[in-house]
Amino acid sequence: MNPHERDDDLQHLLGDDGGEFGRLYRRLPRSEPPRRLDRSVLGEAARAVLGHAPRRHRWLVGLGSFAGLALAAGVAWHVGQIALQREETVHEQRPVVVPVQPISAPRHPRATENAAPQPQQSTAAPAATAPAPAPAPPATRTRAPSRQAAKPAAPPAPPPAPTVQPEPFPAGTQHMETAPPAATEAAPTPAEAPAKASRATTLPRGAAPSPSSSLELRRDLQLAPAQWLARIRQLMHEGRRQQASESLRLFRRVHPNEPLPDDLRPLLGPRDE
Amino acid sequence: MLAYAGGDLLAFETLYRRQRGMLYRFLLRSLHHRADADELFQETWSRAIAARERYRPEAKFSTWLLQIAHNLVVDRFRRHRPHAWPDESDAYLRRLDAPESERPERVFSEFEQRRRLQLALEELPEEQRVAFLLRVEGGLGLEEIGEVTGAGRETVKSRLRYALARIRARFA
Repeated sequence: MNPHERDDDLQHLLGDDGGEFGRLYRRLPRSEPPRRLDRSVLGEAARAVLGHAPRRHRWLVGLGSFAGLALAAGVAWHVGQIALQREETVHEQRPVVVPVQPISAPRHPRATENAAPQPQQSTAAPAATAPAPAPAPPATRTRAPSRQAAKPAAPPAPPPAPTVQPEPFPAGTQHMETAPPAATEAAPTPAEAPAKASRATTLPRGAAPSPSSSLELRRDLQLAPAQWLARIRQLMHEGRRQQASESLRLFRRVHPNEPLPDDLRPLLGPRDE
Repeated sequence: MLAYAGGDLLAFETLYRRQRGMLYRFLLRSLHHRADADELFQETWSRAIAARERYRPEAKFSTWLLQIAHNLVVDRFRRHRPHAWPDESDAYLRRLDAPESERPERVFSEFEQRRRLQLALEELPEEQRVAFLLRVEGGLGLEEIGEVTGAGRETVKSRLRYALARIRARFA
């Protein structure tokens, strides 16, 4: 066979019908894969698709439920602490209040109101924790307190409490502290505002572990491991050991493979270690 | 494939039905052994499924699938058979260029023609057989065959020429 013939064969093969050998090839037995292979391949394809999406979903659900648990634990702990402080505060203030308002009945509804809607509590708390380095505290507080400051002698207002200078948050965290509540909490009604303001201002300094520990824990969740550990150290230095301990426990669950620095280990109880 | 990558299982079934016969025959005729063809058929689809999110529609799906299958075939040959050197192919081709008078003229029956084509395919060097099968079974053009096998257009043409010469020699 000469090269010219080979070129002709090639041209025919590349033609639409495949030329002589293309046509002959199509007359060969049309073998098909056995049914078991079909079942196997289609099964694998189904498993790949069905197994893939739920896997992602499970991961999200897991993270979501963990965040939910952490939030619920933080809220429960926070509510417990606030309730205790409220009782202490009421006991401390009663001798002052009694001569002016001998009947303490109006106080009770407010006390129950305080215990129930926790999110409102956390709305007031961040507002009250805003740092007051500037000499204009009313302006830096919430909208409601400014109105209250204008009318200090309004009848439903609670007895004036000493203005609190709560422990300041780091500059970076303050911004985050005030931003999220817009999504999670409703704005206080005018009737609630004075009550909330009074709650915020009656918190004794240093007694509150954290004005919004659940928010802080949620925020900690978003930090990189190194930043998170630095944040825990900062909490320790600020004397907020309980909050630091909560945050460290959460850190361990989220990053089980991250080694814990020795200086933070004492924050964990013997069971956690 | 894009639809399947997005979770549409029916899209995969449609694709599978369209390509299963072509892929199976390509493997069967490349490897000669049904057990090997079965194994690599399944492996080809497994890899396609695993790589579904990396599939980009720049090439035809059949070209992409045949590329996976071809890589598996090459691996299999590397493990089981020594490589056919181009020099051997040239020597064989020179022998084919014998004078017509030395080749008896025969008329083959339809069955005999098919049998001879099958034998010729089995005897082809791996690269030539793959190029021929990609053309006649996969329907690929020169560029696509080059894409699948990693060879240039002229190399593909050369392999096809040699393959055709060997096949024709079987019919001489």
